Amino acid sequence: VILPVAHSAVKRLRFLCICILALAPCVSVGGVRHFTFLYEANTSAPGSLELENWITWQRATGPGRFDQVDFRHELEYGVTDRFQVSVYLADWFYENNREHSGFAYSDSAIELIYNLTNPVVDPVGVSIYGEVKAGDRLLELESKLIAQKNFGPLILAYNATLEAVWEGNDLTQDEGEFSQALGASYEISPPISVGVELLHEFVFPEWRNEENIRNLFVGPNVSYRRRNWFVTVTALAQATDTEDEPNFQVRTIFGIGL
Amino acid sequence: MKNFAILAAAMICLVDFNSCETTSFAPPPVTAELAREGTGQHGDIATLREGRTLFVSRCIECHTLPAVSSHSAQEWPRLIDEMAGRANLKPTEREAVLAYVLALRTR
Repeated sequence: VILPVAHSAVKRLRFLCICILALAPCVSVGGVRHFTFLYEANTSAPGSLELENWITWQRATGPGRFDQVDFRHELEYGVTDRFQVSVYLADWFYENNREHSGFAYSDSAIELIYNLTNPVVDPVGVSIYGEVKAGDRLLELESKLIAQKNFGPLILAYNATLEAVWEGNDLTQDEGEFSQALGASYEISPPISVGVELLHEFVFPEWRNEENIRNLFVGPNVSYRRRNWFVTVTALAQATDTEDEPNFQVRTIFGIGL
Repeated sequence: MKNFAILAAAMICLVDFNSCETTSFAPPPVTAELAREGTGQHGDIATLREGRTLFVSRCIECHTLPAVSSHSAQEWPRLIDEMAGRANLKPTEREAVLAYVLALRTR
């Protein structure tokens, strides 16, 4: 079942892709991701434009088992040496559980990142991140502190994220989420990096601490880059035992400079 | 809370470790001496400073920063030419990066 709103989103996406391809000769690659569940502190070069496609597969086993595949199409643009803007053209997903299966449009979003310090020459590279996401019965605000340090071929990154989510017909269901992520990536050769990512989530339904849910995911990643494109894959397994949360998830980001 | 404390401690250790080790990984700053050696041959002090700033910010968008000594003075112009497009470097910025790298390489 494909919702009408998803059809509309696909049409808009197609139109935007045509516009982007028309601009392609003017601009270059935005930046390679060494992680998929973490952001890095450096921002895209001014004037660079990149299309990133995200695919995240989540699987939960047990009583509430489900499979969900999330898709994201993101345009990333470097505005200045320290400031970049991204637009999530469409977040959509396929889900399959005991009750139903099908595709649906989820949301679109805008994301801003401002870099404060450099991860090579400063003690710690720091950036701040803000995101506004709106969709079908969904409104979400997200802020993030991004820290990174490069030690030669080794990149260490840390993200602290605070999210406020309103969902439902009248956006009456609200919850908060604090998450932190830690990652290490080592460049074994110029085009290839391998590493590990750790994601630690605290979910507060109705912003109540006593009902909070804690999840810990950990797993390896690998990143390959060539000319104006890259692909990065991370596989995370749940280290806690939280029901209704995925037992494992795999995220792939494919980016291409336009 | 315990996990958060562990992560916080890890970050503190990282910063502490970093304070001792940064200089061995960061490319050398532009000094008067480096500029004097490079003047006329590679560029003035302002160009070298711009080159270093671009080198430590644009190059890491795709890969970690290589040691300047890892490539010869003859190899660097070709390497920077190859990557200038990806890093969106204008011709003057490309020249500044090259001037900085060559000033270090031929010092």
